[in-house]
Amino acid sequence: MTSRGDPADALAYVDDSLEPEARRLFEARLKADPELRREVALWESQNRAIRSAFGAQTRSPVDLGRASNENGLRRGAEAPRPAETDLRSHGVRKRRTPPLAVAKPRRVGPGPAGRRFLGVAALAAAALAVGLPGSGPEPPASLIAAGASAARALAGLPVEFGAADPAALAERLGPRLALAPPQAPGLQLVGARFAPGSEATATLYLYEDAHGARVALMVEPLDEAGAAPPLRSDLDGLSLAGWTGAGYGFVAAAADDADVSALLAAAGVDADR
Amino acid sequence: MFSVREWSDDAGALRRFGLALVRDDRFVFDEVAAGALVERLFRQASLTLVDGPAGDRRAARVCAFAQFIRLYRRYVRRLAADEDSGWIEAPPSGRSGGSAAVAVRGLPLDLREALLLVALAGFTHQEAATALDLPLAIVVERLVHARARLAAHMGATRPAVAWPLSAHLRIVK
Repeated sequence: MTSRGDPADALAYVDDSLEPEARRLFEARLKADPELRREVALWESQNRAIRSAFGAQTRSPVDLGRASNENGLRRGAEAPRPAETDLRSHGVRKRRTPPLAVAKPRRVGPGPAGRRFLGVAALAAAALAVGLPGSGPEPPASLIAAGASAARALAGLPVEFGAADPAALAERLGPRLALAPPQAPGLQLVGARFAPGSEATATLYLYEDAHGARVALMVEPLDEAGAAPPLRSDLDGLSLAGWTGAGYGFVAAAADDADVSALLAAAGVDADR
Repeated sequence: MFSVREWSDDAGALRRFGLALVRDDRFVFDEVAAGALVERLFRQASLTLVDGPAGDRRAARVCAFAQFIRLYRRYVRRLAADEDSGWIEAPPSGRSGGSAAVAVRGLPLDLREALLLVALAGFTHQEAATALDLPLAIVVERLVHARARLAAHMGATRPAVAWPLSAHLRIVK
């Protein structure tokens, strides 16, 4: 319940029940009220969790900035509401592992200057919707292991979606994977590729640091995982940080610990734990 | 003329809604029965398109969901009367699911109906009020209570930090 004003407006906003003019006015109010933004973000995360738990597609691309504690703004246009799909079968989870082979790294050239990577996309497969048990205060170990495996196996490979190719990214990624990747000082975004997460398909955003070393950020939809602050670790020469929140699991991985810290700082989460 | 294919998206949505709403598997005991029930509901709802305003398909969708809700309420009432049970509805149990599914199924039926119509089936508050045959204010009140209970059950007092408003990709040269 909102601490100020009528919760009906906030609920109607979250549930797409406001008229356009009322919606515009509410967004102005939202902009000025961080507490209201938190409540709206909580209710939106509940909607995503419910739709995921019962096999429905999410309604709109997830804006992680909006889902964060400090952001209640709707950035950009809403994507068209996708059609419902048939009932997903519940039950067996398929665990996938990353490929073992590591191909020779190939630098993918960035696109034309001035082109922006919008980071907005259509919906990924509804099969991602298998729920996860709550993870408690720590991110799941399987998430961090999957992030480490993905970074080791895939970070050196060519990206599937260049940073300057938002159209392809929008076509292939979906709202569940459609994020606005953090802009970390000293790290240049190269692009993204799909990767096997701990339970579902994840997006692996790839950066390069000043020395040309790859830095990976894996983002996996984990709608039912509880929020957990970053947990730092080292594994086989790889510095890792895993955290969960906003319906996602995140794993930052790099050879240089400073690069991971830079990603954490850009993501607005505590760097040390 | 009713076409199963034409209504397949809506039928899928109603099946998901039913799966989430119904605690008792005896209500619709298998896939064949569920399919038949959903088809019948949408066949009935499609008739409103013939007699009512052209293109009012969304109203027909509301009508099908409302009919499902009435059927389940009737079933729950009859069960309670027949079994002289302390439960107004069967306790949540049995089916697999994550914490959100468990939390939703643990809600009382009146809260569950309102929440699922809006959050899962994608109806507006006014449409949910129509489907539930309730005033809008009551539906909003139920939604507030349902969301508060859900947050308490899922242990989330606030969403997690992701990254700040200013986060976006830089221009890559």
